[in-house]
Amino acid sequence: MDFISHDDDAITEMLKVIGVDKIEDLFKDIPKDLIINGLNLPEGLSEPDVLKKLKELGKKNTIYANSFLGAGCYFHYIPTLVDFVVSRSEFYTSYTPYQAEASQGYLQAIYEYQSVISRLTQMDVANASMYDGSTALAEAAIMASIITRKNQIILLEGVHPEYIEVVNTYCWGQNITLKIVPLDKVEDELNQEIAAVLFQSPNFFGNIEDVSVLVKKITDKAPNCLLIQCMTDPTCLGILKPPGETGVDIFVAEGQSFGINPSFGGPGLGIFATKEKFLRKIPGRLVGKTKEINGEREGFLLTLQAREQHIRREKASSNICTNQALCSLSALIYLVSLGKTGLTKIATQNFQKAHYVKKKIKEIPGYEILNIKPTYNEFIVKCPDVDSLIQECKKLNLLPPLPLSKYYPEMKDVALVCVTESNSRESIEKFIKALELANNKGGRN
Amino acid sequence: MDTKDSLIFEKGNKKAQTNFVPKLDIECDELEEIIPKKFIRDEIQIPDIPEVEIVRHYVKLSKINYGLDSGIYPLGSCTMKYNPKINEHIARLAEFSQIHPLQEENEGALQLIHNISNMLGEITGMDGFTLQPAAGAHGELVGLLIMKKFFETKGVVKNKIIVPDSAHGTNPASAKMAGFSIIELQSNDYGEVPLDHLEFAMKQGDVAGIMLTNPNTLGVFDRQIKDITRIVHKYGGLCYYDGANLNPMLGICRPRDMGFDIVHLNLHKTFSTPHGGGGPGSGPVGVTNELIPFLPIPCIISAENGIVCSHDKFHSIGRIKAFWGNFGIILRAYVYILSLGAEGLKRVGQIAVLNANYLKSQLQKKYYLPYNRVCQHEFVLSDKDMPNEITTEDIAKRILDYGFYAPTIYFPLIVNGALMIEPTETESKNSLDNFVEVMEKIYYEALNNPEKLKNAPLNTPIGRLDAVNAARNPILHD
Repeated sequence: MDFISHDDDAITEMLKVIGVDKIEDLFKDIPKDLIINGLNLPEGLSEPDVLKKLKELGKKNTIYANSFLGAGCYFHYIPTLVDFVVSRSEFYTSYTPYQAEASQGYLQAIYEYQSVISRLTQMDVANASMYDGSTALAEAAIMASIITRKNQIILLEGVHPEYIEVVNTYCWGQNITLKIVPLDKVEDELNQEIAAVLFQSPNFFGNIEDVSVLVKKITDKAPNCLLIQCMTDPTCLGILKPPGETGVDIFVAEGQSFGINPSFGGPGLGIFATKEKFLRKIPGRLVGKTKEINGEREGFLLTLQAREQHIRREKASSNICTNQALCSLSALIYLVSLGKTGLTKIATQNFQKAHYVKKKIKEIPGYEILNIKPTYNEFIVKCPDVDSLIQECKKLNLLPPLPLSKYYPEMKDVALVCVTESNSRESIEKFIKALELANNKGGRN
Repeated sequence: MDTKDSLIFEKGNKKAQTNFVPKLDIECDELEEIIPKKFIRDEIQIPDIPEVEIVRHYVKLSKINYGLDSGIYPLGSCTMKYNPKINEHIARLAEFSQIHPLQEENEGALQLIHNISNMLGEITGMDGFTLQPAAGAHGELVGLLIMKKFFETKGVVKNKIIVPDSAHGTNPASAKMAGFSIIELQSNDYGEVPLDHLEFAMKQGDVAGIMLTNPNTLGVFDRQIKDITRIVHKYGGLCYYDGANLNPMLGICRPRDMGFDIVHLNLHKTFSTPHGGGGPGSGPVGVTNELIPFLPIPCIISAENGIVCSHDKFHSIGRIKAFWGNFGIILRAYVYILSLGAEGLKRVGQIAVLNANYLKSQLQKKYYLPYNRVCQHEFVLSDKDMPNEITTEDIAKRILDYGFYAPTIYFPLIVNGALMIEPTETESKNSLDNFVEVMEKIYYEALNNPEKLKNAPLNTPIGRLDAVNAARNPILHD
């Protein structure tokens, strides 16, 4: 099938207006030897046939009844109205709102997104989104380097390992030196040449850091160094002190938890917020409110575009053009649907259910919770046999937790467990059963 | 529009909203026993709003937003083609939307990525693809990092990139992010790259390569493309193809055959995935055999035991995004390619060019056309010769009054007062004729009633906005 409307008559008439005999004449600028003789691809499919084919392919992906896997991508309940709103084609088929007067709806929605992120994080300003948490963190590091004119970055252990790799790639691109250090050694590494310290809390292993204390410790020793916090599941902000209160300079997060399906890890949403004083260094798009030139009515438009690549070209603060607008719309609808009551309750349930599972695990011989610090909805468990746990989970139709050896080969038999509000009592009981079975050496084979 | 009471935060009341919170079905400890009080925040300032109010608020906003489904969206270089509804349906199937990036049973997803890589390889002629980049600009960055790594590995210092003045703004910005400095090359009178200037720049020895889009932003196919790539290669450089304008080339000719080494595509342009108001997109990067080892990790490859994922870092530039790229977008593009097939894709290229040339022929009767040549996917008009000093912005705003979206304006920079128009293949003749009619009306208004244009738009929810004040005193949240 195709999505072309013309019949032969229309084509003939159009060619006549143009003044050529056939469509091929329109390609006369292309050297003859570059013209190909068709593509070696299958014949097109009708809608029912393509649907059938994709459903067949989809069967090769397993869908589990419940999940205990997080590690940067989370299964939270998504209110139905989120998809209802983002499915309005006035939104999803539009482009970046360059023509403000015909795009007020989306511009207002993005302005509301920036506002809702400011309200949630208590940071002064948020941009209209980045690609995902990992690239947002990398762009934050570069922004810090531009602001401070220094090219050394410190990253504290406990950041999502894939994020570290992304930051590393971006830093290499701009000749920025990246050093990874343990949290308790950070003071030894600080000096006046450091542009920023990057850290994650709750971190990859689930630990919640005392951010206020960390910020003070670092700024006491290196007052000009910027503090950049990232998180992979910002639903915790329903309970935890927001970054605007703990004193970080730039806050980034993966926003997938805010109403976006896992979809094999993308598209997600890069949340990016900072202090007012860094406003003109922020990467990406910003929507502002203003008045009519010849009137008093207020409206919204893309603003501070002089930072951006289409004006500044190589002098721009980032090359970002397209961002994740539709995903930020999902996040907005998610956050206003939950409201303060829902957000608080969801975060509370994540704390409570994960804590409940932790307590249950402590009762099973052979298992040990390795976190000493408080945790949100993820924590790490030393298991008698992590492979066996994975198999038992699958048998019970549970998506198993992450074996940490995937990223840290030396961490054998440690699992990163995620428990959210969407884990019911029944699924938790099954998971406990899987843990018990995986500890029963007789059950292994 | 009065925004004073129209923001979502003004809605709601004191009634707590708990519709989306599951019932707590286990006996849990109180929060205070789980986490120290010093970590707990004060109340969040997001109101509790009844569902019906939220729905009405956003339906109202959607009604004052122009989408592709509202009508022609002639933004040049953006390829605003119809977004098939089947793509949306399939992307929401649980088998694709509810899979976790770190789950082991992901054969369907990996196979899909592998299949579309091969298809994009056939379409562009490239030998290997990564589907990791999240957008076109992200793809550009990846492509340039590949160049950087390539020369680093060879131990050769080449830290400059040639970018013609007709290039998309992302090109120089991406090159800078990869640590290159930029040599801007002026286009000649035909809108093409001047070979003598190119050769002079390449001769200096420190140039890593060129970034080019072909057809370029004037919609013109560079007739000397083979000479351009030959010259760059002659001095050891690499050629980068900005695929933003690939649409008219589908099934007609291929970047690899033109001599390009690295290509990025925009799935949200050429392959019909929705623009989403500015994302999410997807910007796959294709390379020649020689450059495959430099692709970002993870790489999905075909091995003896099926489709597998390689994390081999040997020469790779490293990881450029968490997980697998924008899978939900890649999936939609895959559905599109399967739907169209070989013939359908070729038809896209042909009709995109037919539509653009038809529109150009009709509009050049009244509007100044600085580069009067056969165009490919788009063409550029300008406000030169407009009566009564009517500007491009006036024209654009008046188009909105007639219920259409405006073309890209003031870009490319090489044409003063540019109006860059790309109709795409999915517009019917009727739709194009309606647009022509409006453009002619506007021309006569410029002649006879210029004030109307200078004050435009008059029929939109809001009048022309004060951008200067917005930038001087930014208000970015409520």
